[in-house]
Amino acid sequence: MDDERLDLPQGTLDLLILKTLSLCPAHGWAISERIRQVSRAALQVPQGSLYPALHRLERRGWIRARWGASDNNRKAKFYELTPSGRTQLAAEAGQWARLTAAVGFVLHMS
Amino acid sequence: MLSELWSDLRYRLRAFVHRAELERELDAELEFHIAHAAEAYERQGLPAGEARRRARLAFGSVEDIKERSREARGTTFLESVLQDLRYAWRGLRARPAFAVGVALTLALGIGANATMFGIVDRLLFRPPPYLRDPGRVHRVYLSQTYARTEYTERDASVARYLDLARWSHGFSAVAPFGTWRIAVGMGDATRELPVMGASVAYLGLFDARPALGRFFTADEDRLPTGVPVAVLGYAYWQVAFGGSRDVLGRELQIGRTAFTIIGVAPEGFVGLGDDEVPAVYVPFAAFTWNARPEDHTTDYHWQWLELAVRRAPGVSPAAATTDLTAALERSWTAQATWEPNRASVAAAKPRALLGPVRVQRGPLPDAAARVAVWVAGVALIVLLIACANVANLLLARAVTRRREIALRLALGVSRGRLIRQLVTESLLLAALGGLGGLMAAQSGGALIRRLFLPADVAAPVLGDGRTLAMTALATLAAALITGLAPAVHALRSDVARDLGAGGRDTDARASRLRTMLLTLQATLSVVLLIGAGLFVRSFGRVRDLRLGFDVDPVLVVTLNKRGVELSFDQQIALEQRLSDAALALPGVTGATPAATVPYWAYEGRALFVAGIDSVDLLGDFVMQAGNPDYFHVMGTRLVRGRGFDAADRAGAPPVVVVSAGMGRTLWPGRDPIGQCLRIGADTVPCTTVVGIAEDARTQSLSQPRTYTYYIPVSQFRAPTGMLLVRVAGRAEDHVERVRKGLQAQLPGAAYVTAQPFRDMVAPRMRSWQLGATMFVAFGGVALALAGIGLYGVIAYGVAERRREIGIRLALGAQRRQVLALVVRGGLRLIASGVVAGSVIAALLAQRAASLLFKESPLDPLVYVGVAGVLLLVAAVATWLPATAAARVDPSVTLRSD
Repeated sequence: MDDERLDLPQGTLDLLILKTLSLCPAHGWAISERIRQVSRAALQVPQGSLYPALHRLERRGWIRARWGASDNNRKAKFYELTPSGRTQLAAEAGQWARLTAAVGFVLHMS
Repeated sequence: MLSELWSDLRYRLRAFVHRAELERELDAELEFHIAHAAEAYERQGLPAGEARRRARLAFGSVEDIKERSREARGTTFLESVLQDLRYAWRGLRARPAFAVGVALTLALGIGANATMFGIVDRLLFRPPPYLRDPGRVHRVYLSQTYARTEYTERDASVARYLDLARWSHGFSAVAPFGTWRIAVGMGDATRELPVMGASVAYLGLFDARPALGRFFTADEDRLPTGVPVAVLGYAYWQVAFGGSRDVLGRELQIGRTAFTIIGVAPEGFVGLGDDEVPAVYVPFAAFTWNARPEDHTTDYHWQWLELAVRRAPGVSPAAATTDLTAALERSWTAQATWEPNRASVAAAKPRALLGPVRVQRGPLPDAAARVAVWVAGVALIVLLIACANVANLLLARAVTRRREIALRLALGVSRGRLIRQLVTESLLLAALGGLGGLMAAQSGGALIRRLFLPADVAAPVLGDGRTLAMTALATLAAALITGLAPAVHALRSDVARDLGAGGRDTDARASRLRTMLLTLQATLSVVLLIGAGLFVRSFGRVRDLRLGFDVDPVLVVTLNKRGVELSFDQQIALEQRLSDAALALPGVTGATPAATVPYWAYEGRALFVAGIDSVDLLGDFVMQAGNPDYFHVMGTRLVRGRGFDAADRAGAPPVVVVSAGMGRTLWPGRDPIGQCLRIGADTVPCTTVVGIAEDARTQSLSQPRTYTYYIPVSQFRAPTGMLLVRVAGRAEDHVERVRKGLQAQLPGAAYVTAQPFRDMVAPRMRSWQLGATMFVAFGGVALALAGIGLYGVIAYGVAERRREIGIRLALGAQRRQVLALVVRGGLRLIASGVVAGSVIAALLAQRAASLLFKESPLDPLVYVGVAGVLLLVAAVATWLPATAAARVDPSVTLRSD
């Protein structure tokens, strides 16, 4: 196991999924790969949590699923962001920024 | 937020309905992921088999992910509910007799409640249809104090209404209205129908648009005459005109005037709807003008209309009451200028009251409405008894299923899930019961509704949201109550012991619970039966009461001149002619004009007797006028002296017959015959008492201080407008013949109506009869339920004790002793229920005392009788299973397990 890997704090998986899907629709495998690549392998999506999270987000109406053909022409389930998902992403990203900034202030106090 | 909830729900439902498809998709999705991962490993140079194994390893447990994904879809709960339902349904299908028995028991209880809720809701709670902002609308009651007693009434005069409208300020509407039965139509098609004089302000209380045409305008409703236009009630339009759209502009004869039809009220419109539903609405002004075109706006004594008001915005009820009382006092003073002898404001203390829209919730409810509330309470008790019965059955079943339940617990089913399953079962049973109850309320309840609600008020069960909601609530409550006992039992069960016991030995805890339920049932049944007994005895007293006249063979004939002008003498002659014509009809044995018809119309005069200051303070004195045939027609017995004869003519010395009570009151200790009574004024010549008649109850069944005196109609010297006709047999059978026979004698548009006298008396007996009927019906149901429950539980208990009984018998006990043991146990149970029930009934009955007629709420006969009946039922319910158990050969019983 890689020591550089970080554990995802509670609740951030939803944010990461929403952000990834805001760029373009993707299937489950692609989502986890993209998060790994973009975070320079620091963030590894726990496979066991990805699919339950996707179904939960779909139930909330933030993403919706469609069957399509993947790059090597296999049938895959693509997820995309809904308008209400976009609103949710903006809200959660803002919250995240405020949280990290606040934590940063506290850590840098002298 | 709401849209999110909605999308959530939609998703869950779709996921639930298409769960097989979603399951396949999930498989495909996960398979796709693993295949991708395996490819990545292959690209790193691993052989295909190894790459796939690694990918699976990295992915983790597929089943676990699938389970969590399913949970994320939010359908697991629904799925388990469905599973429980299927399980419960299979369980019930396996024992159909049990399921049907339970469902029927609950259907009785729920049906009774759905019916009574519909009635009480309509009488007391539901605002009338179309009424705008019901919270600000009130009915007006006027009260005054007379001889230190406050009298409150709903009726007002036109003159009073005009004063109140003119001098009050806190209202956005003061709306007079009144409904009378008036002749509608011409010739043979003439019918007496309820016609409402509705002011424009009254119609303005509602948000109703005419189904056709228009309502009246303020111009058409202007006193003194108004304009003769009419709006048809929807039901009357359908029945009499077939719902034809070209009724507009047609003429309709109402009373003595031809009205032009200008509209049709919308469907379901009944006004404030406490009385009959009007067939026709006419402007209030035209209505009063039609009824009495002389002094209709100035006579304060012509009291017949009702007032509704709408408080102006921002005016509190208290402020509005003060305002209206001030206007009433001013009106009182204004009236004194016409009637100088009237009691002053200070003495009469006139007061206005703002009552609720529903008359039955106001200060003057009829007894029938109060009976309805009691009967609704009774229905609730019936439901409780039904629930106790079902709970007992379910509990008994849970005990026999103890091993099954213990086994499932041992296999790892959570107790929460188990309880959910038990509750699902009772929910299913209750739902079946609820459906049955709705059907019972729809069909059987119609009979009960007709007893309580005014005629023509549509009161469906199935199409009514409030009734359906209440039924659902009752069903849910029944499910929880009946499911609770077995659930608690399951929760506390001891797996190891239950599995080891082999379902043989008795369960002390469960039987204690069952005993409690049984005692509760017995208690409630005793309460109901005592209520039934009290009402039945009270009704028996009402029925056996000697009214002082006969009711069944008498017909009341009313003469309506309808615009035909007749002088006093002509009308007296006409009444004489009608009376003779009636006597000539076959089946008629007597006929007389009458000034008073008990319970319907009264005549009275001021009386003066030498030596008494104010005769009025001694009681109510009702005047009756009749011909020499009168005492025969009414069947009133003469105690002493004579009745009238042909010699008591107009010019002859005036004579009077007084009732026995009146003689005792006015001339205590002296013989009334030969005494002098002055009628109308203290200056007129003496009217001599020539006879004494038995006492008659002419105004109320229970009011003691009502007295009647009788004078010859020839000396009454005024038309009476009414005739009493005695027939051989029952009056109902002669109505049409007598009406037709008399109609032939009448001039012009004048007409007569004939009604059995019973119709006027019956409403006074109605509330007593209602209470008796309903309590007996529901009390009977309760007794049957309690009896069945008792039998079931005791029989079950005895069956459980078969081994014990066998051992006792084997050890040498006599069968007789064993029997006594079992029977004594059952009786002790019921005896405690009888005692508790009697105490509760005694407390409750005190509060219902006013609904009982000359019946003590503590009538020992009823209490002892009910205790006897219940103990008898208990004895039978114990005896049968006990003898069965004692008859079994102990060697068989002991070897059976």
